[in-house]
This record gives sequence, structure tokens and C-alpha cells, in this order.
Amino acid sequence: MNLESLIHARLDGEISAEDLVRLEEILREDWQARRLYLELADLHARLLHARLLHEPGVASGRFATPGESGTRSGGRWRVAAFTAAGIAAVIAAVIAFVFLSVSLTQPGGGKDEAVSAGVAMLSQTISAEFAGVERRSGDTLAPGTIHLSGGLAQIEFYSGATVVIEGEAELEIVSPWEARCHRGRVRVQVPPAAKGFLLHAPGLKLEDLGTEFALNVDVSGVGSEVHVFDGEVIVHREGGGSQSLTGGMSLGSDGEKTVDPAAFLSLSELDGLAAARGVRRLEAWRAWSQEARRDERLIAYYDFHHQTAAGRDRFVGNVAEPRIQSRTGGAVGARWTDGRWPGKAALEFKRPGDRLRMTIDGTYRDITFACWVKVDSVDKKYNSLLLTDGYENGEPHWQIYEDGSLMFSLVYRPPGISGKGGKFNQMYFSQPVLTAESLGRWHHLAVSYEGTSGEVAQYFDGKVVGRAVSPLHQAGRSIHFGPCEIGNWGLPTESHQFPIRNLNGAIDEFAIYRTALSAAEIRAMFEAGRVE
Amino acid sequence: MNDDTPANSTENLIVLLTGHQERLFRYIYSLVPSEADAKDILQETSLALFRKFDQYDATRPFLPWAYRFAYLEVQKHREKSGRSPLLFSEDIIDLLAIERERHEPRLEERLHHLDHCLGKLGPADRDLLTSRYACGESAEEMMARFSLSRRTLFRNLKMLRQRLYDCVSQQFKAEGFA
Repeated sequence: MNLESLIHARLDGEISAEDLVRLEEILREDWQARRLYLELADLHARLLHARLLHEPGVASGRFATPGESGTRSGGRWRVAAFTAAGIAAVIAAVIAFVFLSVSLTQPGGGKDEAVSAGVAMLSQTISAEFAGVERRSGDTLAPGTIHLSGGLAQIEFYSGATVVIEGEAELEIVSPWEARCHRGRVRVQVPPAAKGFLLHAPGLKLEDLGTEFALNVDVSGVGSEVHVFDGEVIVHREGGGSQSLTGGMSLGSDGEKTVDPAAFLSLSELDGLAAARGVRRLEAWRAWSQEARRDERLIAYYDFHHQTAAGRDRFVGNVAEPRIQSRTGGAVGARWTDGRWPGKAALEFKRPGDRLRMTIDGTYRDITFACWVKVDSVDKKYNSLLLTDGYENGEPHWQIYEDGSLMFSLVYRPPGISGKGGKFNQMYFSQPVLTAESLGRWHHLAVSYEGTSGEVAQYFDGKVVGRAVSPLHQAGRSIHFGPCEIGNWGLPTESHQFPIRNLNGAIDEFAIYRTALSAAEIRAMFEAGRVE
Repeated sequence: MNDDTPANSTENLIVLLTGHQERLFRYIYSLVPSEADAKDILQETSLALFRKFDQYDATRPFLPWAYRFAYLEVQKHREKSGRSPLLFSEDIIDLLAIERERHEPRLEERLHHLDHCLGKLGPADRDLLTSRYACGESAEEMMARFSLSRRTLFRNLKMLRQRLYDCVSQQFKAEGFA
């Protein structure tokens, strides 16, 4: 039996003991299976409950009849030993059943998950401004119009064709194989694999046979000119007639014209511009970081500067001023790699043993964690950001949950209770943020905990993605760390093995504060360190 | 907090339960997928809510508060029923409770589309649903009425629910793109 069949059998009460065990095994391992189960159970329960609502017999008190248990789904209502209070509650419940028919549907506040309808990718932008929307490089593009009001944008179609648009331009993406330029300047490169890529322009249709060409559509959106740098393009004219253009040839929609090829930016020039931008961003971040490390609210600040001096490769300095040497980090396994920009180092966590170990002393009322991370894949149930070695009272754990949400947790067990204490676990989840769209790119993650109010705020790229107070919160309980690590969890001991929770990705900055930073401060941090 | 007089607070609770009982039922049912048991637990939960209603902070949403009581009642029920082979294990109940809390807004949105999908069913399918859900007929009654084997009856019910589920998913998705 497949998962669906197991769930339906469960809902119909027709499941065998063996199949129930199998269903439980699947539910235990797979959160998507749990969601499927919950969705089916919810639908079934709504249908069941519809009976309670629409059946005329309800109001006649059928459900208040003691001991009734007629049909399969009839209730077994015990009203034997009620207190006065109990009877009042039963009355309340019965009235509630009757009244329920009024309001069946409650507005929900959820959002749809990102669905990828992409046919192209925004692979590079330089000072690009997009009318109406915020876009950044790495964005997946669905069919629709890209309206550039300034700067440069490079779009890679899934067919393999690459298009650079420049300045005021309007490009409509139709499919991986087709686009329409309404106005502006574009340069197109089509490798052999994308042969046949179609570009429409006013008065012209260009069929690319593997080449590089430029197109200019004037601001009025009427006239077009095309210039072929290399290879061959078939130009179909409106009203019939087509013509082959080869390297060095130009053509206008209203006859022969000369286009200035030098006016079009080449792809290599674009790469050069991107590199120069990277250097500027790195410098701007460095200047900010030099200031930020003087913030006296810092507990520790790791800038992931790769120390190349002999014997220092495994050291990750805590650069918060004044320097506290005992909070220096030690990399285990994790290798150095490129960070947000060329010249910025990062530690990459890939293998189950990879980690960055620290010891952080002191007790704190409030804390904030903030880091820049590139997550390549959310492939475990829990994916570590920063965790203390164990999970004792007052120790924070910060992880990415398997559905891509950020998860912050704290535990305070009552005296005398030890071990696994699910009931005392204060857990905070953000919306899912590390989804297909955001993997493989640098993002700023942050969480703040305010010990008096108990409020936990979670941030993704400077925006709030979760804010809550746990029902278990009690003011006045402190937080401490001790031995802890970034990117993994726990040291196996003789009697105990830790589950694998290593992060699959890279981190290039990590700050820990002794205060709950405000949303504006987190936003500023994101702006100071953003990639582009 | 609530008004002081007991009469007032009973009234308040009735109003709150009226608005939320169906959602409480679905919450409980997802953890204890037995219709009779879920109703018992809902009943116990209503009692518990009544007893603790003076602790309810009216400035906070009612449902999360009520879910905690429902969850405790589910656990009590689990303990009482011992090793009944038809109940979920404790760890599964916990996992489902956590997942459900997180997934709830979406569950609610999905149900908005159910009526539309029910409207698209043919008369034979409608009959089957009516006997099972609206009239609460037992499997035996339905087998006799529709001349179906037990196996076929449950297969048909399963296919019908799966179609509704797929329809809801499609509607939900379509709305997401709008």
C-alpha cells in the first residue's frame, strides 16, 4: 500500500496493526507525509463535522442523550458524574454544536509556498533598477515582462540563451525559447544548444542559428535595428520576407541601417563590471565591520577572516572589541572557501564532522544572533546554525528546520526533571524561507530573544519572518552557552551518539549580541552586508 | 481578563466555543483519528476550558489557548487507552501536533475550496458521501444499500476523498498564482 492508501485506511478505521506501524514509520521520518496526512484528515473531519451541522436531528438534543452509541460514528457521551460546572460546560458545548452551522469557514492567514514556474534566471545585475518590483541576481524568472529602468541585467534562459538588457528596456519573457523586446537595447548570445531561440521586435522576428547579436528597439517602440557580431540570424520581416544576416551585418526594420556595434556592452565587459562592483561592496562592508566590532553589546563577532600565517588556518578570530581571546573559534573539518565577494573568506560546512567550535562564558538576559549564510541544501531534519553542546536549561539552539523555516529553541525543565523534555521546550519557527528560490545564495539570518517579554523575532534578509512568545515563557530566566558550535551539533560521548545535523552550506560572518537588537538595527546590518 | 460574574464568563465561553468548536474538533481528530474518541475528547476539552476559563486572557487569541487543553486531553486519552493498537504512538501525536500548528493557516485556506469541489461531484458520488458523512451510516448499512463489498465500498470512498483532495489542491494552487 502506498502512503495515500495507508492514510485513507487509517481515516476509515480500516487499517491493520501492521499497516499502522508502517504508516507511523513514514510519518515519523517525513514531514511532507505528515502534511499530507493532516490535509486528508482535515478534509475528512470537515466532512464528518458537516453532519453535525446540517443534520436536523442535532438541535433536538440527540448529542446530549446519555449513553447513545447507535451508528458507527455516533458519540458515546458520558454525563454520569458531572459537577455543576461540568453540566454548564456540556450545555455550552451543545449550544456550540447547534450554533456552529453559522460560521463554517474561518479566514486563514497563510501564504502559498513558492512554486517555481521559472523559464529563465536573472544571473547578473549591475545597478539595475526594475520598475515596480525588487529583484536580485539569482532570481528565477517566470514568463512575464521585465521592465528595467536603469542599469544592466543579464538573463539566462533555461534553453541556454543569454540576454543582456541595458538602460531603459522592456523585455517580455515568453518561454525558455522565446522573448519579445518592446524597447531598449539587448545583446543576445546563443550557444549551439539553444539554436532556434526566437526574439521578437517591432517589425522583426529574429531566429537565432547559434550566434551573438545585438538589437536596438527605439524608445517609441516602433523601429528596430539588429547587428550580428558572429554566426547567423534569420530575420523575418513583418509582412513577409526573410533574410539571413551573418557576422558584421546590420539591418533595420525599415530598410538598411547601420548600427554601432560598440554601443552594445559585451558579456565580458559585464563580468568586469560585476567584479568591480564586488570590490566596492567588499570595501563598504569592511568599513562597516570595523565600526560594528566596537559595539559594546557584542558577546562575540566572527568576521571569518582567513588567517594564512603558519598554524593559524584553523583559528577563527573573535574580533569584537575589546578582544576576548577565550572566545576564539576553532574550525574542525570545515574548509575555507569564497564568501559573498571575491576576497572575502567563508567556512564551508559539508561533511558530518565539519564544525566551528567556541566556548562562550557568561549569562545573559537577552541575545541576538546574526549571520550571513549560503545554504546549499536543507537536507536534514535539523540543520545547524549555532547550538550549545547539550541542551541544558537556558541553552539556546538555532537551526534550520527541514521545511526551510528558521527554528530557535530554549529549554527550561523544572527542578528534578532531566533528559528529553519535549513539554518544556520553547520552540519558535519562522515562515519557511530557505526554499528552492533562496538556496545557493547568500542570505542574512537573524534572531533576537528578549528575556523579559519572551519575544523572539526572526529575520531573513532584514525582514521579519516570525515573531512570537512561547506559552511556556517565564520572565527572569537567563541564557548561557558554554561549549557550543556553529554549523553542527554536539560531541559524541562514549554512551551517546549525536544525530547528524551539520549545515550544508557556508558562513562568512557571525555575530552574537547580549541584547535583543531592534528590527531597524537588523535591517541596517543586512543593508551594510548585502551582496549587491 | 474576563468580566467577573460567572454568568458573563459562561456566556463568553459559549460564544468562543461556538466560533471555534469545529476547528477544535478537526485538531483533535487529526491526533486521534477515531470519530467517537475525537468527540469524547472534544467534550472533555470543553469541560477543561470551562474550568480554567478564568485564566483565559481575552486579549490573546482563543484557539492556541484552547489547543493546549485539547492536546492535554488527547494525552490523557492516550494514557487511559493504554496500548490500544488503533491509536497513534505518543511521539507521532507530538510530531503531528507540532506540524499541525505550523501548517494550520494553510489547512484553513484549503477548506475554503472544499464546497466548490463538492459542487462538482456527480449524483452517484454525492449519494455515497451523503450516506457516509451526512447520515453517518455504518459500513454494513452502506454495503447493503449500494450492493458493494466492503473492499469496494472503502475503495470508492478513498477514491472520492482523494478526488476532493486533488481538486482542493488544484484550486488552492490556482489561487496562489492569481
